Amino acid sequence: MNFLTIVVRGLLRRPVRTGLTLVGISIGIAAVVALVGISHGFEASWATGMKVRGTDIVVSNMGNALAPKPFSAEVRDRIGKLPEVAAACSIYADLTSVEDASMMVVSAREWGGFSWQNLKLISGRMPNDGMEDAVVLGQTAAEMLKKKIGDPLQLETKELKVVGIVDGGAMVENGSVILSLELFQKITGNEDRINVIDIRAAPGMSEEAVKQLCDKINAIAPEAKAMVAGEHLGNSQAFRFISAMSWGTSLLAVIVGVLGVMNTMLMTVFERKQEMCILLAIGWKPSRIIRMILWESALLGFLGGIVGVIIGTISVKVLEQLPAIHGMLEPDFNGGLMAVAVVLAVVVGVISGLYPAWRSSRLTPSLAMQG
Amino acid sequence: MKLETTHASADVASEVVFEAKGLKKEYDDGRVHALRGVNFRITQGEFVVILGPSGCGKTTLLQMLGALAEPSAGILHYRGKSLADLADPASYRAREIGIIFQAFHLLPTFTAVENVQMPMFETDRPAAERTERAVELLKLVALGHRLDHFPSKLSGGEKQRVAIARSLANGPTVLLADEPTGNLDSENSKKILELIIRLRREQNMTLVLVTHDLNIARMATRTIEMKDGLIVADQQVPQTAA
Ligand SMILES: Nc1ncnc2c1ncn2[C@@H]1O[C@H](COP(=O)(O)OP(=O)(O)O)[C@@H](O)[C@H]1O
Ligand SMILES: [Mg+2]
Repeated sequence: MNFLTIVVRGLLRRPVRTGLTLVGISIGIAAVVALVGISHGFEASWATGMKVRGTDIVVSNMGNALAPKPFSAEVRDRIGKLPEVAAACSIYADLTSVEDASMMVVSAREWGGFSWQNLKLISGRMPNDGMEDAVVLGQTAAEMLKKKIGDPLQLETKELKVVGIVDGGAMVENGSVILSLELFQKITGNEDRINVIDIRAAPGMSEEAVKQLCDKINAIAPEAKAMVAGEHLGNSQAFRFISAMSWGTSLLAVIVGVLGVMNTMLMTVFERKQEMCILLAIGWKPSRIIRMILWESALLGFLGGIVGVIIGTISVKVLEQLPAIHGMLEPDFNGGLMAVAVVLAVVVGVISGLYPAWRSSRLTPSLAMQG
Repeated sequence: MKLETTHASADVASEVVFEAKGLKKEYDDGRVHALRGVNFRITQGEFVVILGPSGCGKTTLLQMLGALAEPSAGILHYRGKSLADLADPASYRAREIGIIFQAFHLLPTFTAVENVQMPMFETDRPAAERTERAVELLKLVALGHRLDHFPSKLSGGEKQRVAIARSLANGPTVLLADEPTGNLDSENSKKILELIIRLRREQNMTLVLVTHDLNIARMATRTIEMKDGLIVADQQVPQTAA
């Protein structure tokens, strides 16, 4: 028998209570994994979306809303003149309801701009020109809208024709309704408005040079903010709010887990008071009793962490299959997040054990004889 | 733990194990006087029986000897060193003494062989050796066939045997027993007592045993009688063939 056996035996002594405590802590950890995984995934897939479009810099106005604020189309010409800018593509991106789908990305792109180039046709064709009444759908968008080639698609007041279905190489692209900017501006009557400019930097520019280019763009285009692609999302207040919410909710769940473990460990100290006094009387150092309690709570945390990671991953996988959000989640469950979650759970366990352990340190061996 | 002994002149047989002078213990801020100033000297190899009515302070005295509690006043030395000044009382309890309780006090979630190993965690003994020694000790108390039994599956006498094996875990030189047969029927009492006495003889331990039983007192080398927290009689028992 070794010390770990003693620790495990302590937990197995009340299997139901240990089990319930495990459920409590693992739900907290599952919440962390699910929420943080989803919001990370959201961020990551947005960044991949930018990369597949070959975009180095995004110029936009991420304000309070989920969609960026519009600004004058003339900004693009100002930026396009900079020698470091290889190409610029104006976009009007909106999150809106399209027919039966409540939230769709509608991405209207400057006809001929480089942001069209990454779209690979799966079926059908691309629009013939910038004014044809046609849209192409990302493959997930096509599934969600239940559209085939040739079907009509109602956008605002105009009926357009689905001419192609494309693979955009990233979740955001595949979930989008894509059309020409000129056509979209005509439909909405918003002739001079855009809200995103994708910028491709001159070949061979270092990361540092790209950052400097951002500053340069910001100097000549105060209407919007230029940011390195991928980082721009973190600057959106809406996204920051979602991110803070997911961490906040996770934190709350974790605190509930802490209280659960602390309660269990306190009960265990009360229940085993006599036994702990006996151990002291037969020569155990108080520090060994403290270690026993801390190891028990750390082990509870560790097991809760493992179970939590599993529950969190499974529940997001189930969530992903729900028709309402199918294709909209691309959770990022990397090993790092899982490791952080398990470490967090162990830390939670140890912290929860501190007070009970301190209580145990006040026991005296003489109590063993008065039983 | 290093216990320096200063007994250059004394031979081993008369080596002083415990020496108490004016030993007092109060509880509840001085409202209860459990020990009112006791003096004695116990030497190596003695078998001391402590007698006296309930509440006279026998358990309290044993707690002092085992460093389970600190005296309120007076001196208590173990082999020439004050127990109050022990840097590590846990180590003293683990290595120098073995304790046997009236209520056995086995840990219910551990088997016999595991219970016996508990005190060994305070030594450097590797796990395999701990198990091996625990098995040996259980065989020594005639429980070789109950190694993996939990306390709930053992009879009272068997439980006390496990507790005795546990008290010997780290090879103590002193055995402290507080009414070890108090929870047993007369037949088991007799067997347990014989076992303790035999082990004391074989391992040359000093034994301090608290009891109500005058028959046990006859087997001791010395009896100390207490009343109201004081020693009222302290006499050697004439040694017949023990
Ligand atoms: N922890 C304690 N708190 C208060 N009083 C105690 C405590 N332990 C023992 N006493 C009192 O001290 C006296 C001696 O007790 P004890 O040594 O247990 O006697 P014995 O073992 O001879 O029956 C008794 O009056 C008892 O009530
Ligand atoms: Mg008593």
